[in-house]
Order: sequence, then C-alpha cells, then structure tokens
Amino acid sequence: MENQFNSKGIHLTKYLFFTGKGGVGKTSTACATAVNLADEGKKIMLVSTDPASNLQDVFETELNNKGIPIKEVPNLVVANFNPEDAAKEYKESVIAPYRGKLPDSVLQNMEEQLSGSCTVEIAAFNEFSNFITDEKVQKEFDHIIFDTAPTGHTLRMLQLPSAWTNFISDSTHGASCLGQLAGLEDKKEIYKKAVETLADGEQTTLILVSRPENSPLKEAARASKELYEIGVKNQLLVINGVLKTHDDQLSENLYKKQQDAIKNKPNHLQQIKTYEIPLRPYNVTGLNNIRAFLTKDNIMYSDDILAVDEMKQLKDIVNDLYNNDKKVIFTMGKGGVGKTTIAAAIALGLAQKGKKVHLTTTDPAAHLEFVLEKSDDITLSRIDEKEELKKYSEEVLSKAKETMSKEDLEYIQEDLRSPCTQEIAVFRAFAEIVDKSKNEVVVIDTAPTGHTLLLLDSTQSYHKEIERSQGDTPEAIKKLLPTLRNEKDTEVIILTLAETTPIYEAKRLEEDLARAGIYSKWWVMNSSLYATNTTNPILKAKASNEVNWINKVNDLSKGNFAVLEWKPEEIKGEALLNLLS
Amino acid sequence: MKKMIIFDPAMCCSTGVCGPSVDPELIRMSTVINNLEKKGITVERHGLSTNPEIFIKNKQINELINKEGVEILPVTLVDDEVIKTKGYLSNEEMAKILDVPSESLQSKPEDDGSPCCSEDNTTSDSGCCGEDGCC
Repeated sequence: MENQFNSKGIHLTKYLFFTGKGGVGKTSTACATAVNLADEGKKIMLVSTDPASNLQDVFETELNNKGIPIKEVPNLVVANFNPEDAAKEYKESVIAPYRGKLPDSVLQNMEEQLSGSCTVEIAAFNEFSNFITDEKVQKEFDHIIFDTAPTGHTLRMLQLPSAWTNFISDSTHGASCLGQLAGLEDKKEIYKKAVETLADGEQTTLILVSRPENSPLKEAARASKELYEIGVKNQLLVINGVLKTHDDQLSENLYKKQQDAIKNKPNHLQQIKTYEIPLRPYNVTGLNNIRAFLTKDNIMYSDDILAVDEMKQLKDIVNDLYNNDKKVIFTMGKGGVGKTTIAAAIALGLAQKGKKVHLTTTDPAAHLEFVLEKSDDITLSRIDEKEELKKYSEEVLSKAKETMSKEDLEYIQEDLRSPCTQEIAVFRAFAEIVDKSKNEVVVIDTAPTGHTLLLLDSTQSYHKEIERSQGDTPEAIKKLLPTLRNEKDTEVIILTLAETTPIYEAKRLEEDLARAGIYSKWWVMNSSLYATNTTNPILKAKASNEVNWINKVNDLSKGNFAVLEWKPEEIKGEALLNLLS
Repeated sequence: MKKMIIFDPAMCCSTGVCGPSVDPELIRMSTVINNLEKKGITVERHGLSTNPEIFIKNKQINELINKEGVEILPVTLVDDEVIKTKGYLSNEEMAKILDVPSESLQSKPEDDGSPCCSEDNTTSDSGCCGEDGCC
C-alpha cells in the first residue's frame, strides 16, 4: 500500500508540474495541492496551460492569463492561459504598430500568416516561459503550480525550449525559418533559463498523475521517460482514484482491476516514488470538495430524478451512421473517456453491416492493435508524429535533391528541423487518411481535445494559405476542409463521462465544431455507474451524482445520446461486440 | 556593385517547407541567394512578417504596396529601381543584372561529389556520408 498523497510530508520544490493523460485528475490534484498549501499559509500561484482548461469551472470564477486572486483562499492566485487568447494577444502586438501605416491587404496577409497553430503554440510557450523565469513571480510566491495540458501537447511544449534553443543557435543562415517568430532570438535567454529551471531538481518537481488503469499508467511511463531525457529528472507518481473498499460484485471487479494495474505498472514507473489518492464519491468543483480531495470522503447521495424517456445504445448510433451512409466519422472528447474503444466498436459495427472500414488514431498513446484485430473489412493505422515528420522530410529532400547540391540541402534540412514542420507533417497525414473516405468508411479516434482543436484550426488557416500557394499541394489537403464540412459525409460523435469536467469540455467542443462548420449529432456517455446496479457506498454515491449529468446531456444532444455502462474488463476483440448488442 | 533587395510576402519560412507544400520557386531563390553569398554578393531580403518596418521605411516598396496592395509581392529592387513585381527573377535575369555567370547560381546535384551516398540516408543531420565524411 502506497503513501497517500497530500501537501504535507512531501518535499515540495518551488515549481510543481502536474502532468498526465487527460481525465486522470491532474486538475483536481493540482487544485487541491494549491488550496491546501495556501491554507497552510504559503503563497501560491496556480497556472493552467491546458487549451481546454476547466480551472474556471473548478473555482467557479472567471479567470485570465495574468492571475486572479481567489477571494475565499487568501494566499492563492490562479491564472489560466488559454493559448488561443495568448496567440490573439501576440498577433495583435505584432500587427498593432503597423495599423494605418501599411495598407489593409498587407496587414491581412500578416495576420493570416500569424493564424496558424505554430503561433498558438509559440504564444502559449512564451507565456509559460515567462512564468517560469519571472523574478517577480518567483519572489512573490512560495510555490508555482502548473496544471498542464494533456500529455502529448505538454511534452511538445516542454521540449520546445531545447528545440528552439538548439534551432536558434544552430541556424547558420540567420533565423530564416523562424519567419514570423524571428523576434524570438531576443528571448533566447528566457528559454535557456526556462530549460535550466525545469532540469534543476532543487527547483522543479514533475508530478505524473495517473488513474489505476493500464493505459494511463503506460502514458505516464512514456511521459516520464521522455521528460527524463530532456533533463526533467525529479519526478513523482500520483495514482488517483484508488478504490479502498469492496463489498459487491462491481466494486470487487473494480478493486481487482485497479490493483492489477498498479501491480503491473510499467517497469520504468516502479523506480519512481509513488503516492495514492483514494477514489472520491464526488466531482471536484467548489472549494469544499477541493479542500477535502486529499484528506477525506464526503459521501453524499444526490436526489436528482432521471428526466429521460429513453436511453439509446451504441447500436442505435451505428444504425444511424449506416443508414445515412456516413463516410468520415470522428470520436472526439477529453482524454480518458474511451474514444479508442468506441471508435473500434463503431468500426466493427459498420464492418458487420458490410462496410469497408478504416480505423485510425491520432492519439500518441494509442494502441489500436490491442483493441481490434484487422480483418478483410477493417484496416488499421496510426498517425505517429515522429514517423510523419520523417516521412515528410524524406519527401521534401528527395524532391529538393533533384536540383540542389549537398550544401544547399543542409539549408533545407535546417528549416525541416523547425518545430512547425512537425505540425505540418501530421496535418498532411491526417488529410491523406480522410481522403481514403472515397473508397471506405474512415473512423478517426482523435487525440485529446486540445490537440484536436489545434488540428482543426490549422485546417482552416492552411486552407486559406493553400488557395494562394504556388507549390504543388496534394489533392488530399485541398479537399480536407470541404470534406469535413460536408454533413452528408462527416459526423463527429462527442464522447463524455457523466461528470462535470468532461461534460463542460464536450460542450465547448461542440461549440468549436459548430464554429468550424462541422456537423455533430450524437453524444455517448461512457463508463456510467448509474447504468450498473452497484451497492458499494462510494460507487453508489458516484452513480447518483450522474443523474444530473445524464439529464443535462439529454438536453444538450436533443435526445441523441447513448449511455454505456461501466465495464470492469478491458474491452477489446470479441468483447467489443457486447457494446453493440 | 549593384544593390539588390527582395521584398517577400508574409510567409513562415524562406524555403516554404513549413507551409502546406514546398514551393519550388522559394527553394530556387534560397539556393541562388545562398550561392551569391558564397561569392561575396549580398542580396538583401525582407519578409513582410519578419521585418514589416522596412516596408514603411523603404519609399519605393511603401508606395507600391499602398497603391497595389499585397498582391504585388514579391518585389525586387536593384539600385532603388523596381525591376520585377509579383514574382522572383529567373536565374538568367539575376545573373545578367549582377554580372555573374548564370550557371554559378544553380547548384548541381552532382556537386557534392559523393556517388557512394544512397538515397535513404540523406535525412541524417550530419550529411549523407556520416560525420567523418568518409564514405
């Protein structure tokens, strides 16, 4: 039995990073740590870098990227830097001095160039570095706590300092590829300091948060290794949501499953000091729950009444997709809601009805081949960022080699090492897969929400650029956005759990999709305890708290939603069929 | 020596590889300018996104974009005279204006003189023959 995680008894450095797969409870853990430390009299700054952050919901306070003092917690300041806002501010700071001095068409050209995902990432990273290196913040606060974005994105962001510093210092032909970001050269010192701070175990602790389940533990191990490699070596593991008692079939199954996952966690994690947080019967919103999160249970049953006539099932959704002959189907939602499983089940369901299906994932932590075996009707693939970058580089270089000398090639190689290039490479792979929908149904299990939004955003801004570009743009890229916007072909299925955070996020996702002109009809509420018959006090309390959320999703989806009950076993292979029956 | 200045539109990088597709024109220009530099001839190049200030300070370009808008870019000036708009000079034009042999602007793929290099290891950072340069 591991030590319980709390703010006392653990040596805490000045900078604390909470990271892990989406939905593992990073925000809850980071907030609880921040509030408890503040209650002890420490001066605390809590910062979220998640594009899909929900700190606002947790503190029930409107936040900004500079920091808002929390009234009820005197020593706590909370900042939420939304990368898109940061990008907007950054863009404005670049363009504003030229308003009225350059013609509108010229300003517009600059603005478009500054609208790509590259800018979003840079702007977010700028703010992040400022927080780490700001001496005023450092003096004013005892601890600066970061609640970071889902792992894939965080890793990139944390890797950026070294990527950029290497890039800037290696660049021999001036910082040409930094393009719009040429100004970054001035910031070299800040980035260098940020990297040094991250790598200094006296100053920085990385807290990997996971659920007691195989997949997030694997993800934590991956993050741990990658961060170790870039020098962030002072690490802790916190396993959140550990069930402590079992007294009925369901709770026994859950208990056993969790303990197995903990016992069999990846080797790499075995060497890291590990703490646990018990499974709590409540959602972490409001200060009472935040304060209690690391210290005690408050079992409270909700007396909400289900206001839904009929709860549909996954097979109803599959039938609808089949009848409407959808060609491109996305499963989207926060990390940890079961996108991969549902995508696999939908793929299987459509294949059973005689469709040819291609199932793919953009999730860096994906493991499709463990979920579903490929067959004559189902093909599988994965968009791997590093692979795609390699492929793209090779393609560019082989084309360039036709006309260029070795020396000139190095010049191009330099640009290919730019961090934006990876984004482009992934984007192209994504377009190619969507293009397969000519011949088969394409089911796409996307990465956590924040990342997906960046992807969709780049779809739009690149689309504009393509219209101007003289280069030979692949057909697949030209057709991407029109395909995604064609509601006859494309449908997004929004996945959530019957809990606060995933539902708020799902709602924001739906709004973003609508803005991008992309159609979505169905919602799936996965892993519902309400749909089971548990009698375990903790699980039953959680189940009763779901009713309110099921009612809410009924409203949000206009009745187009399915509820899937929590299953103790990992759903793969044959078991996927149970989801469809 | 004639002074050549090129004004680029806003773009992510001068080779275009970080855009949605590689623009062969941009690669050609990068090569040409790189080769000129090796000969000690500097061609000034300004991007709208990297150095908007110069688009205000330089009288010719400022007048041009105010009159014609962004579509006029890229623009090439030689000794303060506009000689090409809406596109880059060809290698032959460049060679003539700057008075250099045009073949010296265009690198040949054979130039690297390493026939042993295979197709598949060109992406390594150290060049195709490994760090010690030995094939």
